[in-house]
Amino acid sequence: MKKFSIAVIMLLTLISLVYLFPLYWTLVTALKTSGEIFSRPPVFFPSQIIFSNFYISLNIFGAVSQTAIGSVPWLIDSTIIAVLATLVSTFLIAAPAAYSLVRYLRSVWLGRLILFMTMIPGAVFIVPFFLMVAKMNLLNTWWGLIIVYISFTAPFATWLLMGFFNDVPKSVEEAAQIDGLSPYQIFYKVSLRLVRPGIIAAIILNFILCWNELLYALVITYSPFPSGSQTVPLFLTSFIIIEKNFAWGGLAAAGIFTMLPTLILGIYAQRYLVRGLTMGSVKG
Amino acid sequence: MSEVVIENLTKKFGKTVVLDHVDLKIDAKEYFVLLGPSGSGKTTLLRLIAGLEDVTDGSIYIGEKKVNDLLPKERNIAMVFQNYALYPHLNVFDNIALPLRVRGWSKDKIRHKVRDVSERLHILSLLEKRPKQISGGEQQRAALARALVRDPTVFLLDEPLSNLDAKLRVEARAFLKKLQKELGITTIFVTHDQAEATTMATKVAVLNRGTITQVDDPYELYIRPNDVFTAGFIGSPAMNLVRGTAKRVGAEWEFFNEDLKLGLGNLKLDAERGVSMGIRPEHIRLARDGEGLGCTVSNVEPLGSITYVTVNVGKTSLVIQLFGKSDLETGSSTRIEFDKDGILLFGDDDGKRLDVTGT
Repeated sequence: MKKFSIAVIMLLTLISLVYLFPLYWTLVTALKTSGEIFSRPPVFFPSQIIFSNFYISLNIFGAVSQTAIGSVPWLIDSTIIAVLATLVSTFLIAAPAAYSLVRYLRSVWLGRLILFMTMIPGAVFIVPFFLMVAKMNLLNTWWGLIIVYISFTAPFATWLLMGFFNDVPKSVEEAAQIDGLSPYQIFYKVSLRLVRPGIIAAIILNFILCWNELLYALVITYSPFPSGSQTVPLFLTSFIIIEKNFAWGGLAAAGIFTMLPTLILGIYAQRYLVRGLTMGSVKG
Repeated sequence: MSEVVIENLTKKFGKTVVLDHVDLKIDAKEYFVLLGPSGSGKTTLLRLIAGLEDVTDGSIYIGEKKVNDLLPKERNIAMVFQNYALYPHLNVFDNIALPLRVRGWSKDKIRHKVRDVSERLHILSLLEKRPKQISGGEQQRAALARALVRDPTVFLLDEPLSNLDAKLRVEARAFLKKLQKELGITTIFVTHDQAEATTMATKVAVLNRGTITQVDDPYELYIRPNDVFTAGFIGSPAMNLVRGTAKRVGAEWEFFNEDLKLGLGNLKLDAERGVSMGIRPEHIRLARDGEGLGCTVSNVEPLGSITYVTVNVGKTSLVIQLFGKSDLETGSSTRIEFDKDGILLFGDDDGKRLDVTGT
């Protein structure tokens, strides 16, 4: 085990606290009575734990479900959009692109350029994306949002996977070449299988990106149920704006509820995520 | 079982010339070793034969066919890589079966053939395991099995023993030699280890900086190296090479430099010239008091059956080989003499051996 000095441990603890506090605050807000939510000074440790906020939040979902397609349509829409955008960008775009960039173009700079593109603030593209999706007649549809999401998930996953493909030993691919595999077979049957940790990391990170995305969803899927399809973050926002009395407790509970899938995914795939991100950062 | 012929082969990476007009003929069923230090171009030559690199100039023939423009899979060669390059995500059986699967063999035929090859290579019990779960020696055999399973006409091995520990390496050497003899496949083996080359090969090509310096059987290479490079590269410890001048003294010739003077007998030399004198450690022995050349012992390396002793004559350092244990101690003085039959002379200009001994 590597030993850290006390100063480093303290610093890391502090950073962890800063990052964990919002999570904690959301959780206790969800569990507090409404009196304690608004009390001054703020209550960090609720005197009484109540679960009715979760019940109310479920009721929020339930209230919507009465008017729309399924029982929890927002979640379903979010899931479908995030999963499709993630899978299409990872398998159909990022993996082949990263592989050809690494093996055929051998261009590190193109890889970096791709990453830089994901760093452009999303607001820049709002109007162009809206017009494009509108022209395609895909406003308020899954595919409208999926196409827009692919525009940032695909470059990110490409950059991430380039590091992994770079690490596939060339001799293994050459062995496959001599064994008689075609270039496509080498990609599909050998290299793609060897970058599995990278694929998993790309899928999870992209899923989280899509799941939490608000800005584009706000513009592309502006019309609420039942006519259109909307994702969970959008729904949570619209809830704040529409209601006069902000049900902070219920909102926090709903927030906890919607963050669960990404939280579980993240914990499950932690080792892949760490490896994926550190690897990318070194190999960039 | 095909012969491999290489004609006037040149390979450049950008402006760097890696192989420079190489000519080579490898007979069918031969165990041919490409020997050279790193950077000599030996691996590149092997990769060119395999089709993993494009030829810059010249031709490669396998059997009767010119293969310059053929894909690796069309050349019917097999290759074993230094790191074995097994497919980590497949078990040993699937590793061996893959070349047959992509050729569309039936399941039954594949199972039969894989078991056959595995039996020969003693890896039947490992077929269900992943490459990571088996030892280095076993991985190597799995890689050999994958290479041999489709009955290639030429078998290429790129330093396949260098990742094994010393004991396994000696075993693998014997195993490979036996296997090659049984199968009778033309085999081209790349190594930088001259012991590997001389113990296994029927013929060795020595490469230095992209050119072949000598092609011979191992013994000839040891006894009559063509140039200073080969002389220094073959044999361990290396041949002693001393620079100096050969000059005529009366009827005979003499080698001298600032440290030593040595009678060479009759030489077919025209005039005095600069040379490198080469002599192997086993051709230098201890001399009786008053005879030979005085020197100081600088290092003693006992190996059990023999002992290597490094001595200094002035600034010239020489390694001599003694049988059994030696009483010599570092720093002590002793006397040595040379076995004149073991002396080789090389031109100091081009490094080529001067064929001058004998009358």
